[in-house]
Amino acid sequence: MTIELFGMARELVGAPSVRLDVDEPVPLRSVLEELAAQYPQLVGQVLAPLTHAPLDPNVVLLDGRRAHGLDEPVSDADRPCLLFLPSGG
Amino acid sequence: MRLIPRLAPAACAELLSVDLTSERVERAPYPLTAARLGGVSVAVELLASAIGGPLDPLSPENPLVFAPGPFAGTAVPAATKHAVATISPLTGRLTDGLSSSHWSGALRRLGLSALIVQGARANWTVLAIDDTGVRFLDGTALLGLSPAQTTQRLREMLGGRHWRVAAIGPAGESGVRFATIDNDGRQAGRGGAGAVMGSKRLKAIALASGTDSAFEIADPERVQTISRALRERALGPDTAKYRVLGTGANLRVLQRMGMLPTRNFSSASFEGAERVTPERAREEPEAYLERRSGCANCPVQCEHMYVRRTRDRKAASASEYESVWAFGPNCGVDDLDAVLDAVGRCDAYGLDTISAGGTIAFAMECAARGLIDVDAFGTPLRFGNAAVLAPAIDAIACGEGLGATLGLGVRAAAEAIGGGAEVLALHVKGLELPGYEPRALPTYALALAVCTRGACHNRAAAYDVDLRNPGQVLPDEARAAAVIDAEDTAIAWDALVLCKFTRHCFDDFWSEGATLWSAVTGEPLDPAGLRDVARRTWQRKRALNEKLGWTPAEDVLPVRLGEPLREGPYAGARIDSASLERQRWIYETLRS
Ligand code: SF4
Repeated sequence: MTIELFGMARELVGAPSVRLDVDEPVPLRSVLEELAAQYPQLVGQVLAPLTHAPLDPNVVLLDGRRAHGLDEPVSDADRPCLLFLPSGG
Repeated sequence: MRLIPRLAPAACAELLSVDLTSERVERAPYPLTAARLGGVSVAVELLASAIGGPLDPLSPENPLVFAPGPFAGTAVPAATKHAVATISPLTGRLTDGLSSSHWSGALRRLGLSALIVQGARANWTVLAIDDTGVRFLDGTALLGLSPAQTTQRLREMLGGRHWRVAAIGPAGESGVRFATIDNDGRQAGRGGAGAVMGSKRLKAIALASGTDSAFEIADPERVQTISRALRERALGPDTAKYRVLGTGANLRVLQRMGMLPTRNFSSASFEGAERVTPERAREEPEAYLERRSGCANCPVQCEHMYVRRTRDRKAASASEYESVWAFGPNCGVDDLDAVLDAVGRCDAYGLDTISAGGTIAFAMECAARGLIDVDAFGTPLRFGNAAVLAPAIDAIACGEGLGATLGLGVRAAAEAIGGGAEVLALHVKGLELPGYEPRALPTYALALAVCTRGACHNRAAAYDVDLRNPGQVLPDEARAAAVIDAEDTAIAWDALVLCKFTRHCFDDFWSEGATLWSAVTGEPLDPAGLRDVARRTWQRKRALNEKLGWTPAEDVLPVRLGEPLREGPYAGARIDSASLERQRWIYETLRS
């Protein structure tokens, strides 16, 4: 599964997207756990240390809308992306 | 007259009134009570009490009010800021903006709760204010200088770097209706406060507060403790996106979300977004030099400035999202260097970048429809033509040819151009739209329509409601209530004049903000009191606009937003005017 990254997630990983080896569909929780395992630099900065849920103002979008929760099933077709909520400027 | 002869408690500040026509200078106690707080609530209160009815914003009768935040000049980080309020020459209604620099700190350290400037000079003048009083200096020699050059020259004239300067550039001198007031490289004045200052023939206001503050903090230990904690959080993940990337990083995200207004809002997706994002400059350190800057006493320093390595480092331009969007996607331009140059030009002239970019995008579309001369600036005035940005900005700032018409802003320019140009003018109440697609952000759309300042994204961060749940369907009542909450929250931040980019550094803003205010001033304040001030200030803003002639018919969105988006995740989305009117009616009912 490919996850697009934006903002600090992209900065910390050093790439615009990453590929994760997971069986689809898979709960979002597992996707984020895998992401945290492969890129521990995200933990504490973009992903919460224990739950690995995105830390405010970061969110996961699935098919252009916000993921309902960590149990929501995700597949590549959802074009998952981890981005921050834009503001100000 | 001596200003500030004693060390006074922080709450016991004074109002300094300067009449430029008569040279009358008065000071009077104007304490920062819990009913006033500071910043925008003080500025709006003073402006409202000085205005009796409709007026010409560029006449001597229009007051210009500066009010420092209550924490300016203290240890509180990201809070050395001030509010500016006046009647906008773009909208004819209130415009209230914020800026941030050592100038704000100097205002507060002089013991002032506000400075109100009225009247006008016969000749160009500089006000020099220090603890010995107020001087009226000849400003003629400063004409034509940028704000930065003016600051440098004034420091030489007045004798020292401790002089802090707020100045207008050539755009303010020539009365461009979206001219800004600059202080130490930071700008205030969406809505044309710089034009108001220019109409008074006031080139600059220089302040020197000396090394000792004129006010005493009530509980310095508490203020230090809270400030230290805030500073630590401001250096952590809560502000990382601003600190590390800057607001320019919004561009890629908005493009991905299908919310990036493009070519004068004719689309919400820009195929050249990747080429023009400021993150590109950051990712190409071999090609671009990066400089960080920001406001006084702020550890975040969110301003990321870039310049090609082949150019002088001093030519680095700010890369804030709104500015880059205004000249990039909104003008269909995908040349990052040209966009950065346009931003730098606007800063040197003292022009609001959002309005300047919006006006040029409007002109590009007018030219495409044959309403104006496509060759007015020597190179085609067409979407995507990067080469036209510089001559168009030059002509606007200097009031030359078509530039003089565009310098009126899109609403008045459309009236002057005629031929149906009104439908191409993207504004609310005369203020050009910022860079978020209202058709994809319905709560933000309502907030833009009802905003007392016109199309401002900072008087209510209502897009946050939509972005947190893209595509969510909200009942009208909930949407209207969300807008009211966003407006009141923004006013509370603007009365304490804390930077909203630090909002994630607070666990409970209402109680922590009230505590901080009490620790600085010694006056009791609780979260309910803070909310009361926000509500009352909104009522004052509305009452002031009513005095100036506001009617509900002004609370509408541009015609173009009634057309559906043609592609992207929000294809088909449009602003339905009947539904907006229903939401506006509910908003009014809840407000009353
Ligand atoms: S975060 Fe940026 S805008 Fe806010 S006070 Fe700091 S430097 Fe200024």
